[in-house]
Amino acid sequence: MFKKRINYKVPRNLLVLFELLALFLIFIYDKDNFDKYTFGSGIALIFMIYISSFILLRISTGDNYIFLIATMLISIGIIMIYRIDPALGMKQVIWIGMGIFLFFISYFIVKKIKGWKDWTLLYGGVSIALFVITLLFGTRTKGSLNWINIGRFRFQPTEIIKILLIFLIASYYTNYEKYKEKRFGSYYLIGIVYLFIGFLFVQKDLGTVLIFYSIFLALQFIYEEDRKLILYNVLFFLVSGVAGYFMFSHVRVRFETWINPWKYIDNKGYQITQSLFAIATGGFFGTGIGLGHPDFIPEVHTDFIFSAICEEMGIFTGIGVIMLFLILVYRGFKIAINQDDKFFKIVALGISILFGIQSFIILGGVLKMIPLTGITIPFVSYGGSSMLSSFIALGILQVASEDLDLGEEKYEQGT
Amino acid sequence: MNKELKRTLIVLAGMCILFVSLVVYISYFQVFKAEAIKNNSYNKRLWINEEKILRGSIIDRNGKILAYSEKSGDTYKRFYNYGNLYSHIIGYSYREYGKVGLELEYNNTLLNINEATPFHELKNIVIPNTEGNTLKLTIDHHLQEYSRNLLKGKKGAIVAMDPKTAEIYSMVSLPDFNLSNLKEEWNAIVEDENSPFLNRATSGLYAPGSTFKVLTAMGILEDPELNKQYECKGSTTIDGYTLEDYGGKAHGNVNLEEALVKSCNSYFADKGVLVGKNKLGEIADNFMINKKIPFDLPTAKSTFPYKESLGKTDIGAASIGQGKVLVTPLNMALIASSIANKGEVLQPILVKEAISPGGKVIKTNHTKKISEGVDIFAANEVKNMMVEVVRRGTGTNAGIKNIRVAGKTGTAENPSGKSHAWFIGFAPADDPQIAVAVVLEEDGTTGGKTAAPIARNIMIEALNTIK
Repeated sequence: MFKKRINYKVPRNLLVLFELLALFLIFIYDKDNFDKYTFGSGIALIFMIYISSFILLRISTGDNYIFLIATMLISIGIIMIYRIDPALGMKQVIWIGMGIFLFFISYFIVKKIKGWKDWTLLYGGVSIALFVITLLFGTRTKGSLNWINIGRFRFQPTEIIKILLIFLIASYYTNYEKYKEKRFGSYYLIGIVYLFIGFLFVQKDLGTVLIFYSIFLALQFIYEEDRKLILYNVLFFLVSGVAGYFMFSHVRVRFETWINPWKYIDNKGYQITQSLFAIATGGFFGTGIGLGHPDFIPEVHTDFIFSAICEEMGIFTGIGVIMLFLILVYRGFKIAINQDDKFFKIVALGISILFGIQSFIILGGVLKMIPLTGITIPFVSYGGSSMLSSFIALGILQVASEDLDLGEEKYEQGT
Repeated sequence: MNKELKRTLIVLAGMCILFVSLVVYISYFQVFKAEAIKNNSYNKRLWINEEKILRGSIIDRNGKILAYSEKSGDTYKRFYNYGNLYSHIIGYSYREYGKVGLELEYNNTLLNINEATPFHELKNIVIPNTEGNTLKLTIDHHLQEYSRNLLKGKKGAIVAMDPKTAEIYSMVSLPDFNLSNLKEEWNAIVEDENSPFLNRATSGLYAPGSTFKVLTAMGILEDPELNKQYECKGSTTIDGYTLEDYGGKAHGNVNLEEALVKSCNSYFADKGVLVGKNKLGEIADNFMINKKIPFDLPTAKSTFPYKESLGKTDIGAASIGQGKVLVTPLNMALIASSIANKGEVLQPILVKEAISPGGKVIKTNHTKKISEGVDIFAANEVKNMMVEVVRRGTGTNAGIKNIRVAGKTGTAENPSGKSHAWFIGFAPADDPQIAVAVVLEEDGTTGGKTAAPIARNIMIEALNTIK
C-alpha cells in the first residue's frame, strides 16, 4: 500500500505546492513591482513544469524522477534570482522555457538517431573547432576567455563541449577493442582530453578544467583495462597542477584566498568573504526572502547563488539543494547500472558525474571548503548557456534511463 | 559482481562522500564558525541590522544612566553622558571606528541579538527585535567620579571593589579620552605617546614592587622549617648582585611582621630564595598571576615566569616584586580582596545584570570563586601584618581614624627610571567592605607617600557613601 501511494503524482503535486507558495512569497516581497506580467509568467512557469512532467510520464518509459529533481532545483533558483533582480528573473523564466523545450528535442533526437557510438572523430573534431573559435573570436569576462557573441546572444562553447566530451569518452570505450589494436591506441583518449584541458587552461577556465578532468578520471577508472594509464593520468595532472600554481598567477590567487581570504578582504578575498558573511548571517532558517543582503556579494546571481539561498532561506534549504544533487547523481548511477547498452551506460555515468562534480566544485567553493573556481550550479544559477546545456544533458540522461531496444547489441553484453 | 559494476559503485560511493562532506562542512561552519564570522566588522549586514535596533542603555549600580541611544532620523544615535569618565569601561560604538569596551563585549546583549539557535531564529522572524537590553553595572557613579578626580593629572590606574562579592565599584585608567568627541580627536588620541586607549587597570602590566611581598610572606609562613628571624644590614648580596633596602637603611633584627611593616627588601629577597621559585610560583598561580582573569572586559595576563630557569638573583628580585614579575592593577586589587576574603579568589564582576526592555532581569553575574588563593590562617596572619603596616609602618598615610585599615605600599623600579607608586589595601580589616589597588605610573615617588593617601580617600568615601 505504501508503495502505491508514493507514485509520481505525489512529488509532482508537492512541487506545484512549493512553487505556488514561492510565488506568494515573491508577491509579498515585491508588492510594488508585482504586476500581471510577473504573476502571469510565474503561473506559466508552474504550468509548464507540471505539463512537461505529465507529458514525460506518457512518452517515456524511463526514470521520471530526474526531471522532477531538476525542476525542483530550478524552482529554488528562480525564486532567488527574481528576488535579486526581477528583470533577470523574467529572463531566466524564458531560459527555463527554452531549456525544457531543448530537453524534449534532445530526448527525441538522441532516441531516434542510431549510431551515436561510432562518431568518436566527429565529437573530437567539433570540440576542437569550438575551442579554436573561442580563442579566435571569444570575449573575456571575469578573467576567463570563454564567451562567444553571436548577434545579441552570448554563449559559452564549453557548456556544449562538456557533453561532447562525455560522448567522446563513451564512444571510445564502447569501441575500446577497435582502438586498442591500433598503434598507441591507448593514448588517443588521454591525448585528446589533455588537449581540451590545455585549451581550457589558456582560457583561464579552471573550474571547467576540474570538471573535465573529473569526468575523464572517473570513466577511465571504471573502463580502462590498462590500469597503469590511470596512474599516469593522476601523476601528470598533479605535476601540471603544481606547475600551473607556480606559472600562473590566477591559480595562485585561488589558492591564497582559499587558505586565508581574510588577509585579502579588501581585494581578492572580497568575494569569498562576502559569501561567508552571507551564509553565516543566514543561520539555520535564513533571514527570509527579501530580508537579507545577498546583493553585497558580487556575481551573486550566477556563481554565488548558493550563498544567497543560504542567507535568505537558511542552510536547511542549502542542505536541501545538496541532497537534491545527491539524489540526482544517485538516480543517474542507477540508470547507468540498469542500462544494457554500453554507450548509453557510459553517457549516463558521464552526465551524472558532470552534474555531481560541477555542483560540488561550486558549492564547496562558495563555502570555502575547497578553492573557489567560478562555475555555475546546474539548474540553479542564472545563465542561458548553463541552463540549456544542463537540460540537453538531462534529456540525454532521460533516453539512457529507458530500456533501449537496440537489436543485437543487447546480446553482446552481460559478460 | 562483475568488475565494471564494482568500480561504478566505488565511483558512486566517492560522489556520495563528496556531497555528505558538504553537508557536514556547512553544518560545522554554522555551528562553530558562523558566530565569529557574522560579527566580523567587515560584515556590512551588522551595521544595517544594528541601526534598526534601539541599543540598550548602560546604567550604574544605582540606576544612573551612563550611556543611551536615541532616534535621530532613520537611525539611532549613541550618547555618552560622562565624556572621559567611562572611556575604558563602556568604551564606544561608532560605525567608523568600530567598538571597544563593554559596547563590544556585550554588543549582542545591548542589541538583544541571541545566539543562532533555530528557536531564536524562528522567534525573531515572528517577533522582530527592535529594542536592546539595558546593562546594569556594579560601578558606583559617585565613587567612579571621585576616584578619577584623585588621579587627575597623573598617569596610572585605580581599582576599587567589594572584597566579599568582587563587584567593581570604580575603575579608572588615566590618561583617558572623551567618548563624545571621538571623531574630532581621533588622530590626536591615536598618536598620543601615553596611549590613552590602553585600559591600564585591566591591561597595564607593571612591576608590583613591595606590594608583591604579601605573596612572598605567605610563602614564608607556609614553610615550617624556615627561620623567620633575620638580621637586616641595609642590603643583601645574592650571587654577586646587591639588592638595597629603601635608602640603604638597615632594619636590624627583624621577624616576618617587622619586615613587612618596614618593607625590608633584604629580608624578603633572602627568605624568598630559601622558599624557592616553585613555592612562590604556586602561590602566584593561586592568585591568578600567569592566568587569564575571567572578566567582562579583556584582561592582560600578569606574569611571573617561575617555570623558566631563574637564577637566585632573579628569585630574590621577584620576591620583592621586581625583575621578571609584572602585574595588572586589577590583579593586585583581586589579591587585596582575597586576603580580605579569607584567602578565596573571586571572579571580578563589572556587569551586574542585563535587563530586558520590559524590565525583566534576563542575566545576572553571580559571585563565584575562581581560585583557592591561600588558606584562611595564612590569609588572616598576612591581614594582621598589613594592619600593622598601616598603623605604624610604611602605609600610615592610608590610616583612617577609628577604622582598622590593612594595606601594603610598593615603590617599583622600572626601565623608565621613575618608580611606580603602589598601594593595595582594604577596610575595615575585621569586616572588609572595600578593597582597593592604586598605581601611579612613573610618578617617581614612594607608594606610602602618594598612592596611600589616594587609597585612603577612596576607602573613606566608599565606606560613607556606598550602602
